[in-house]
This record gives sequence, C-alpha cells and structure tokens, in this order.
Amino acid sequence: MKTITFKQKKTSSIALEFDELIPDEIYTWGESDFNKYEVPIGNSRFPLTDYFDIKVEGEAESPDEVKMIINGDLNRVKYIGCKMSGGEILCNSSVDLHVGAEMSGGTIIVDGNAAAHAGREMSGGYLEIKGNTKEFTGASYIGEWRGMTGGEIIVHGNAGKQCGECLSGGKITVLGNCDILAGIHMSKGVMEIQGDVNRWPGGQMKNGTIVINGKLGRLLEGFVFDEVVDNPDIEGKVYDGRFIKYTGDIGLNGKGTLLINADVNRDKLGEYGESDDEYTSIREYRNL
Amino acid sequence: MEYILKNGIVYDPANKVNGEKKDVMFKDGKIVEKVSSDAKVLDVTDKIVMPAGVDPHSHVAGPKLVVGRLYRPEDSRKGVTQKTNLLRGESGFSIPSCPTTGYRYSRLGYGTVVEAAMPPLEAKHTHDEIATIPNIDIPALPLFGNNWFVLEFAREGKIDELAAFISAWLKISKGYGVKIVNPCGSEAWGWGMNVHGINDKAPYFDVTSKEVIRALAKANEKLGLPHSIHIHPNDLGHPGNVPTTLETFESVKDIDKNAAVRNQNLHCCHLQFHSYSGNSWKDASSGAEEVAKYVNKADNITCDVGQVTFDETTTMTADAPMEYDLFKLSGLKWVNKDIECETAAGIIPIIYSPKSPVNTLQWAIGLELFLHIDDPWKVCLTTDHPNAGPFIRYPRIISWLMSNERRMEMIDNEVHKWVHSRTTLPTLDREYDFYDIATITRAAPAKIHGFSDRGELTPGYNADIAVYDINPNDIDPSKEHELIEKKFGLTDYTIKDGEILVKDKEIVKVKESSTIWTNVKGYEEEEKAVIEGIMPFFNQYYSIKWENYPVHDHYLSNPIRVDVEASK
Ligand SMILES: [Zn+2]
Repeated sequence: MKTITFKQKKTSSIALEFDELIPDEIYTWGESDFNKYEVPIGNSRFPLTDYFDIKVEGEAESPDEVKMIINGDLNRVKYIGCKMSGGEILCNSSVDLHVGAEMSGGTIIVDGNAAAHAGREMSGGYLEIKGNTKEFTGASYIGEWRGMTGGEIIVHGNAGKQCGECLSGGKITVLGNCDILAGIHMSKGVMEIQGDVNRWPGGQMKNGTIVINGKLGRLLEGFVFDEVVDNPDIEGKVYDGRFIKYTGDIGLNGKGTLLINADVNRDKLGEYGESDDEYTSIREYRNL
Repeated sequence: MEYILKNGIVYDPANKVNGEKKDVMFKDGKIVEKVSSDAKVLDVTDKIVMPAGVDPHSHVAGPKLVVGRLYRPEDSRKGVTQKTNLLRGESGFSIPSCPTTGYRYSRLGYGTVVEAAMPPLEAKHTHDEIATIPNIDIPALPLFGNNWFVLEFAREGKIDELAAFISAWLKISKGYGVKIVNPCGSEAWGWGMNVHGINDKAPYFDVTSKEVIRALAKANEKLGLPHSIHIHPNDLGHPGNVPTTLETFESVKDIDKNAAVRNQNLHCCHLQFHSYSGNSWKDASSGAEEVAKYVNKADNITCDVGQVTFDETTTMTADAPMEYDLFKLSGLKWVNKDIECETAAGIIPIIYSPKSPVNTLQWAIGLELFLHIDDPWKVCLTTDHPNAGPFIRYPRIISWLMSNERRMEMIDNEVHKWVHSRTTLPTLDREYDFYDIATITRAAPAKIHGFSDRGELTPGYNADIAVYDINPNDIDPSKEHELIEKKFGLTDYTIKDGEILVKDKEIVKVKESSTIWTNVKGYEEEEKAVIEGIMPFFNQYYSIKWENYPVHDHYLSNPIRVDVEASK
C-alpha cells in the first residue's frame, strides 16, 4: 500500500489540472518523480512543488494499492481522479470541475462541495461528496447522449441542475434536495433523491427509475399516473412507505418509472388518485 | 526548384505504369520528363509512388458541417491534439475542424477533395471554409436537383435556358459541376413529404424526378462540362431501391456525352446506399450484384461506393426526408435545415455496428460493389465522408479490398450472420492489387471529374505525389492487412504542386488550398437573358438581395478556373 500525501503550499487563481495525477499514472512514482512533474495550469505547465509538498510512503504494485490524500484548498483544482480505474483519493476540501469524471473504478471521497460535472460519464467506482454539488452531477458532457453508465455517486448535500442527465446505468443518491431536470434524458439506472425536487424530474426519460422521498414541485406533463405502491423494491432496495408511481416520458414513448413519496405529496394523490382523465387525454394525443 | 524522386516503385494507372521502378521528376510545381543535375534527390528506394489521392465525393466544407460541429460537440472531443509551432490543435473524428480536415487528408497522401454538396445560397460560406482547409484543393458541386428554377425549366423542357442557368450559377457560386440530390424529394420535404421512384412529382411543380435528371444531364452535356451530372438518386437507404437506381441509370442512356476527358454521362455517388433489395428491413438483402451487372455492361455510368466502416459517425445530406427516416429509426438527436428555393438538409449521428444486421448488410454491399464491378475505372473509393464513415478509414478499406483472408475473418467472426444469408460477399475472393488501388483512389476519380491537371504523373501535370513506405515486392497484402492499413495511413512524402507537405510521416508545411471552378464561355448572352427572366421571382422569394447572392472573386484565395468553350 502506498500513501501519497499532498500538502498545499499556495493556491492558484487559474485552476490546476490533476487528470494526470491519478493512481493509474503515478502508482510507481517516488517523491523525486513528483518533484520533477509539471502540472498543467491554463495553457502552460508549472512545477507541482510550487503548489504542493508531496510525501510518499510505502510501495504499490498496482493503482489499486494507492491512496492519495490531498489537503488544502482545492477550489481551483480540476479533474481530480478523472479517468481513474482504481485506488483511492481523499480530498479534504471542496473541489473544482470534473472530479471523478469518466472514472471506471476506485474511490473518491470529497470532504466538501464539488463544482459542476462531478462524476461526469463515469462507468464504475464510487464517488462520495460530503457537501453539495453544482450542475450536471453524474451527467453526460455537452452534446453527448450517453451519460454515466456504472458505478455509484452519493451526494450528502444538495445537487444542482440536471443531476444525472442522460443517466445510462449505475446509481446516484442525493441525500439533500435536487434542482430542476434531475434525470433528464435518462435511459437506465437509478436516481434516489431523499430531499425535495422543485420541478421537472425525468424529462424525456426512456427508462430507469427515479425515487423522490421528499416533496415534488411540478411534474412534467409527459408522466402519467400508474398506481400507488407500498414499500417498492427498486433493484434490491426497499423504500419504506407509500409511493405514487408514474410512467414517462410518454412524449418519447418512454417506459421510465418515477416514484414519489405519497405521504409528503398528498396533494398529488388527490389530484390523480381519483381521476387521470387529463393525463389520459394527453396520452391519447401523443399516440395519434 | 527541381526534384527527383529516386528509385520508387511507381503506380500510375493513367499512363499504364504498373509497379515499375522508375524516377519521378518535377520542377516548379509540375511533373517533368527530365531535370538538371542540380535537382534535389529524394531517395524513395523501393517505396510506392503514386499520384496524390483524389477524393471524388466528400463533405468537408459548408454550412451543414458547421451545424454538425455545433450540435455534436461530443465529436469534437475526439482526436484532440495540442497545437504545435506549425499546426493548429486538431479536434473531431467524423466532423473534424477545417484545419484538421486538411492535415488528415494530407497525411493520407491526398491532394484533391471534391466537396459534394454546396447550396448556391450558402456558397460564400462554403468558400470561406474551403479557404480554412489547408493542403488540399477543393472543388465544390452546387446543388441543382431541387432548385425551383431548375424544376421549372425541366417541366417546360427548356434545355437551352437550363444550360444557361447552370452556366450562370456555376459562375455565381464558383462551383465545379452539377450535383443532384434526391431530385424532387428534398423539395417535397418542404411539405413534409418525399418522392419514391423516379416518376413521382414534386408537389406543386408538376415535374418528375426523371424529367429533372434528364433535363440536367442534357444541359450538362450541352455545355460540355468537365464532370457529368453527379447524382444521389431517389430512395437512398430504402430497402428495395434497386429498381429506382437502375431506372435512374437507364433514364440517361440515350444522352450523348460531350466531353473528351471522361467516359460517363452520369456519376452515381455512394452507390452502396442505393443497392438494397427486398421490401422492408425484415426481408432486405443485397442488390449489389444486380446493380454491378448493370454498371459492368453500361459504358456511360461511373460510381463511388460510400463504404460503411463500422464507426460512430455523422450523416449529413441534402436528402432531408431520408434523415428524418433515420431519426425515426434511431431516435438520436436530429437537425434539419431548409435552404430557401434550393434544397433542404438534415444531420443525425449514426453508429454503424458489426453486430447490427442492417449495418452488416450495408458493409457487405459496399465491398460487393467493389468486387463485382470488373473495371476499377468505373468505381471510386469513398465513404461519402462522413456519412458511411470518416475518410481517415480509407486505409482500412484498402486493406479489406486487398485481403480476402481479412474479409473472411470478419465474415466468420466479427459481423452479423446476415452476411451469409443475404449477400454474396462470402463467395467473392477477388483481391485488389496496388495498381487497382491507385486506380480507384486517384486515376479514376480524376478522370471521372474531368480533371486535366491531376491524378496522373504525366509531364505537365501538377506535381501532386504520394509516397508510401511500402515495398510491394516485400509485402503480402493478403496476410499483412494490418500493415497495409498502417502504411497507407501515413505517407513518407505528400507533395502538392511540387511542395513537400508531408515528410517522413510528419506534416512539414501548411499551404493554402484552392478551389476549382468551371467557367463556361459562349453563353454570356443567354445567361443574361435567363437572369433577367427569373429576377422578378428571385426578388419575390429569396430573403437576400441579388447583389449579395454571388460569390465575388475576393472570396476565393487562389482559385483555379477551368475554362470550357460551350459548343451549343
Ligand atoms: Zn454525399
């Protein structure tokens, strides 16, 4: 087991890019290698040791045996753990864009907030954010229609807009609230939101499941009331309580499942429990 | 500056040079018969020397490329390189940036690439982009098949007026030849419709596709343009489109060609997409053998293939209704464009997978056409870039054509089993040799386009030359297909107009490109009359002023003008 500890010396107003400093690349490195390394900042490179002191302890035979501990203010450090396939990274601070992007294995734990694109297009591994995240958590990048395909993301705080956009596998859990358009375009996988969602979860979803345990603001018209279920079991996890189940997005003939807590969302139960005429008519209209 | 390429093994099909060890000399940008003793010697001992490649049909410049790049930023994330002192940073896979396009063609040993679809209304934009693509000459083919004026002239049978219109519009758009895409179909798309077969009428124009094709072919030959009509027939990509394709060929049979440089009066692009038998995708099968049989017999038809390469790519075409059909099949993001009074266009990403029965069928049909068409002078190598695959895959296609072993390996292990039940590919063991490859990638496309300054190593021709690090006497393409793909992917030398652009597999020079356009002489009066005649209509229906419509000379950086004396 090799432990690599980063201790910050100074911060930069232009972000440092850490995508080369992943266990896959550095598991053989000693301190002298880090001392030689120049880190990309903007359009140039500068010695890493201008910004961090590096301490290396122990040996590693593979990326999986690497543990990186990054201390300091990482608000201007991008791409931490980007494309990593194994090992562990602990960040004792909030982090900048693209933490854990395209990772396929290993573990990243962020003891703080994450900027946009956390866990973008990841295909495996485990990403835990102890604070909040900004937009596009576990989403696809601009233009791409295949998002996260595997692995797991847990956000202890709130998640920003379009969390889980184009989700195509894996699981995202948000223990706080979610901003608009959570799970938009998703086609597979599970999103679990313990807090509230203000508007429009699951827009254009084709498949997969979104569970909302808190209060839902506005639902999109493309979701039709299906039934009220008790203690639903979603891929092996049982959610206690009564849930209202919707199917959507019918605009795309989507077969996605949206479950919202029935007790917290009694208003919706009254609205659809008795009559779903309005929604039936929308379904007929779309099927024309 | 004088140069001598020494001891290369030369393939120059236009001069019937088939793998002879000989020197190639050039001076001041042209091939010459001899040079002085001061000539710089470039030692290419036992390496393949060919004329630089000529791509007869590709989509590299114009508004639909820009729309494609805008709405597929995920494609631009691929193939990214850092800028160097000489080169700009590269980006993109199926729709690379303009400089990237030039660099990549140059590395493949290409010198000329025909941009196959330019709406005249967007010609300025197209030429702006051409000017940004370095290292290759790019003639552009204006779209005529759904132009409202063309539809009117065709209905009235006014061939003289149509010829004058074409002559004028080539000058206005600085275009090279006549492109036709889904005649009447792209116009019908303005009404949410399409046409099927060549006897359907464009809505409200009372003219059929067949009448449009015949009228344009007659006008094209009347003018004696260097290139024939260049047609993307109706029903592209539809199972059962073989009859439409053959009727299209048959419809111009009686029209005499009028240009000494070429043999054909109709060039059919991406024939693979037009060779599907059956009635639906459920019972679709290859129609390649039937289509190839016709091409073999006819002396007036040439084609390029549009070979599917099994990549994730982007389709973009003026055949907008077809793109809508593709969208209905794949559900991927789709974009559509209307070019007022002239054409339409659509773009959609596509993933060709060897596991898919339909994609396997398309892949096999392309190869079947290459192998069933006997005369390599009638068939050119294209992927209809980027529609069936990006042009950087040409070396891979060459490796397939040269190796039956590789094809059988794919047939047995990699592609869908439809290849056995619905195509003849497993029964074909023909293998192309280097001479055939030189024919389908440079000599034939140059002849088909009527170029009289490139595509061969004849003295007086442009010194456009490619040298590949292959010793033909030392390689078995049938077995070493991977090596063939690698070596054709990166030249030892790419020489354009006598300037060394690639040396030892690296770009050493970046050169401004030229467009090539056709200037018809002798129709000046008729052109004036036609323009005057259509002006009220133009002023009423076009959203721009006539004064802003033509591509003025200052838009072109180094134009190559091809003068044609119209015979009338
Ligand atoms: Zn094309």
